[in-house]
Amino acid sequence: MTTIQIGFLILLSLSFIIILGFIYKVWKVALFADGGPNPSFSRLAKLGRLPAERAEISRWAAYIHRVSGFAIFAFLSLHIIDVSTFAFSYAIYDNLHQIYSTWPMRLFECGLLFALVFHALNGLRLIFVDIFDVGIRKSNIALRILLIISIATTLGGSFIILQPVFI
Amino acid sequence: MKLFISRKLSYIALRTTGLMLAVLALGHFLITHITNDVAETDSSFVISRWSSTLWVVWDVLLLTSALIHAFAGLALVVYDYSKNSKSRLRTLQLLSIFVFILLVTGLMFMAVSLYRIYGTGV
Repeated sequence: MTTIQIGFLILLSLSFIIILGFIYKVWKVALFADGGPNPSFSRLAKLGRLPAERAEISRWAAYIHRVSGFAIFAFLSLHIIDVSTFAFSYAIYDNLHQIYSTWPMRLFECGLLFALVFHALNGLRLIFVDIFDVGIRKSNIALRILLIISIATTLGGSFIILQPVFI
Repeated sequence: MKLFISRKLSYIALRTTGLMLAVLALGHFLITHITNDVAETDSSFVISRWSSTLWVVWDVLLLTSALIHAFAGLALVVYDYSKNSKSRLRTLQLLSIFVFILLVTGLMFMAVSLYRIYGTGV
């Protein structure tokens, strides 16, 4: 463990704390300001049912979209800084970059993959809904399909990312 | 209400950069984690990747569009969550300074890295 790796891990932990704080903020504001049903564990349980007219799933999609976007930006800020070491010295870059292939970081990358794929597909759905004036029913169907796609992509991608850990 | 940036510009910028990032960011993740293992993406990987103009352009576009997208998206979050117009303006100013520093840092160190790879020649 070199000093620069420890510095990276400190900044990474800091961004985790900031992300948790953001999730708390989203949760608190949702409880007071959003109007309509509040997000809660009982609501979460009801998401298992599948009546087509329920709009609750798009509310959760909005929260996941917001939190995943924030988390990606937090990681991006750190990633810009750590990749910048390439400009100073290749040795420092290689040393710092070894962290990315450790197993906890690989687990983090699986989470990052889900955040990226969900955020991208849900964003494309929002653009699609805006341009073609799609109704709530069809946009909810699209949301379910993209959820299945993003979970499947994450599972497939995680298999590839985590494979070197088990070999 | 005094707006920090035009709503229309922010709406269009968020959607345009979002469409770009759906290709650029997912493509970046694909080549660094799926088609190549992340352990192989060391400095020699970066040097060989940046020997092609496509990937230099790709990375510049990825960096700028990601930061524009992040700023426009977070501006909406600030509009939702700030208590009054004064704190909103202050938060947006801090946010824009932070994003600008990241953009300058990223582009500057990328230019220095390319200079280190190619030297003084073109």
